[in-house]
Amino acid sequence: MLKSPSAALLLGAALLVAGPALAAGDAGKGERVYKKCAACHQVGEGAKNRVGPELNDLIGRTAGSVDGFKYSKAMTEAGAGGLVWDETTLDAYLESPRTAIKGTRMAFPGIKEADDRADVIAYLATFSKQAAAPAPAETKTAEATPAPAPTAAVPAADAAVPTHGVFHLGRAATADEIAAWDIDVRPDGVGLPEGRGTAADGEVLFTERCASCHGDFGEGAGRWPVLAGGRDTLKADRPEKTIGSYWPYLSTVYDYVRRAMPFGDARSLSDDEVYAITAYLLYLNDVVTDDSFELSRENFTSVKLPNEENFIADDRSAEPHYAGKVEPCMKDCKAEVKITMRARVLDVTPEAGKENEGTTKVD
Amino acid sequence: MTEKTETKDETVATSRRRFLTGSLAAGGAAMAAGLATAGPAAAQGESVITEIQDWNRYLGDGVVSQPYGVPSRYEANVVRRDVEWLTASRESSVSFTPLHELDGIITPNGLCFERHHAGIAEIEPSQHRLMINGLVDTPLVFTMQDLMRFPRENHVYFLECAANSGMEWRGAQLNGCQYTHGMVHCVVYTGVKLKHLLGEAGVKTNAKWILPEGADSAAMTRSIPLEKALDDCLVAFKMNGEALRPEQGYPVRLVVPGWEGNMWVKWLRRLEVGDQPWHQREETSKYTDLLANGKARRFTWVMDVKSVITSPSPQAPIRHGRGRAVISGLAWSGNGKIKRVDVSIDGGRNWTTARLDGPSLDKALHRFYLDIDWDGSELLLQSRAIDEAGFVQPTKNELRAARGENSIYHNNGIQTWYVKADGTVENVEVS
Repeated sequence: MLKSPSAALLLGAALLVAGPALAAGDAGKGERVYKKCAACHQVGEGAKNRVGPELNDLIGRTAGSVDGFKYSKAMTEAGAGGLVWDETTLDAYLESPRTAIKGTRMAFPGIKEADDRADVIAYLATFSKQAAAPAPAETKTAEATPAPAPTAAVPAADAAVPTHGVFHLGRAATADEIAAWDIDVRPDGVGLPEGRGTAADGEVLFTERCASCHGDFGEGAGRWPVLAGGRDTLKADRPEKTIGSYWPYLSTVYDYVRRAMPFGDARSLSDDEVYAITAYLLYLNDVVTDDSFELSRENFTSVKLPNEENFIADDRSAEPHYAGKVEPCMKDCKAEVKITMRARVLDVTPEAGKENEGTTKVD
Repeated sequence: MTEKTETKDETVATSRRRFLTGSLAAGGAAMAAGLATAGPAAAQGESVITEIQDWNRYLGDGVVSQPYGVPSRYEANVVRRDVEWLTASRESSVSFTPLHELDGIITPNGLCFERHHAGIAEIEPSQHRLMINGLVDTPLVFTMQDLMRFPRENHVYFLECAANSGMEWRGAQLNGCQYTHGMVHCVVYTGVKLKHLLGEAGVKTNAKWILPEGADSAAMTRSIPLEKALDDCLVAFKMNGEALRPEQGYPVRLVVPGWEGNMWVKWLRRLEVGDQPWHQREETSKYTDLLANGKARRFTWVMDVKSVITSPSPQAPIRHGRGRAVISGLAWSGNGKIKRVDVSIDGGRNWTTARLDGPSLDKALHRFYLDIDWDGSELLLQSRAIDEAGFVQPTKNELRAARGENSIYHNNGIQTWYVKADGTVENVEVS
């Protein structure tokens, strides 16, 4: 399949790891595994390019060759070098995308279990005219391990009862356990880890790990969140709420990226990388203007976001319609009633909505 | 004997096949045949009565044909639905409760709306831990077994997403109460008081806030004042008597009665105690309410008094013509019980107090009915709830006058359904 040395080099390392024999996949199970992919890729009738290219006829397709999809340079070059997707190449790519094709835009971390990869490839093959070559009839190596037998109950009289609290339930958490989970960061800097990173470093990371959803400049792809711009739009008809235009605290950026990003590969960034990405987001939002700016635990709380002052406490109960708690009118409350607005979106209403179609679409 | 059995099996199989391929068509044909061959013995009337039906003659499925029971296949349309264009991916998205098909105050577990930020975490209970750390005397780790050894309580509460009706700020947009109001559900929770767990760790005197955190890959976090945590919050592991559904946070979730759904952290794995709020993503960039003047309210926790007529509604038109009709709906408030619901059939000119029926529970859905004689003329149906704190559900225009159109969250304005002479219903707004 690999027709040129350069493509072989690109995939070489990963292919070696892939092992000698690939297990035959189960397309049914693969459909379930595919859910991980469906956030970005469509497959089946009517599939379109979204964050990732559509995956119909993937088996036998030259890498980086779907019309109208903007691939990374690395993926286009791999295709030009002769990389064709088949059971073997897909297996290697899906195990660790960024190892197999360095520079791919696909932010997905990969599928660890060989069986899961085989299953999802088998599923994708059902949408390919050139189905994957049938694999040798081998049984899967990793069968589901039987559930461990329940551990014998401690004789009640022998069980040690802790002394804390009222009910004496639970056990003391260890310092390492707390450190593993307690990663939240507050606006005053409490919770920030040791570390540092520059906006320039962040740009490289952002392009590789974030841009497939958020756009190269934080402008957002499709319906994924816009991260930059929107300054002075909060009073506008269509406000654009971004880190620069809306978020009150920088600590929220660090905390959230560290706990939940990239989407589908949480906790994969190092503390320094999160500093670098946060610094780059400040740069994209013109909060800092020099891409050599280095953000660190030491200077973190000196950075303020522009909209911090515009958050206020909940004062709903002071609104005119609530404040008086007035007994409402029951009779002849208004002179006339006119319809001022009618439902604008119909196609979201299945069944009953179809009957209404044509009569209710008024704008 | 054997022969007879086989014959009968075949008949059963055939009838079942016919049953499956459309009993309506089959029934219609049978009726037509009945009329055509009307002999001396032919009975007058509906064939479903005058003719013996399959289910009246043959045996049905035996016990455990469904080890976990499912609704009748004639209820296949009673399902959660989503609006694909709303979100970038289904892993961070929402589905809506089919309110128009339900009655009473309890939502069946499989129909409770979903809101995930990183898909449904699947956690084996033996692998789950709940940690308490921060400003406590003894940071603790609980297993699920530990949690179930605390004194248990049962409470019925509604859970409403703060963004429920959020697509309607700029005007009537979605045709169906499933979409306009379906980010609410109400179940009975079994769990333990959060104050018991916190007490076990020993909360320090300078503590003012807690931070619950989920175990999913969004690691959802929200700051909650300690006062609320010690008041009525629960750590729940059962809903409607059975284990939480995975999409509702199995094996354990936080219950924050009357407050916005985002705070009810699912897959709850950690509770940190602190002296300041954390200003997490879901309480700064999201779940803050932008006003027309550019200011934004934060920590808008309580869900305001609200109601909606669930039937008739766009997905549940009137199909029976004029005469007796049941107007049915739901009301709820994060401030407590519902005191009263008024219904208008003329767009808010005149109001009639509806009948609250079923249990009236603190911070739970309330069911109301108004039984009317419909003369077949057009109606502009509205409902208006008043809670026990005295708050009256506002109109949408009153909300817009106070907040503008870009708040996204906390839209509890009065809903108007336009019932036409043919019984079809449309989402509208009125002057």
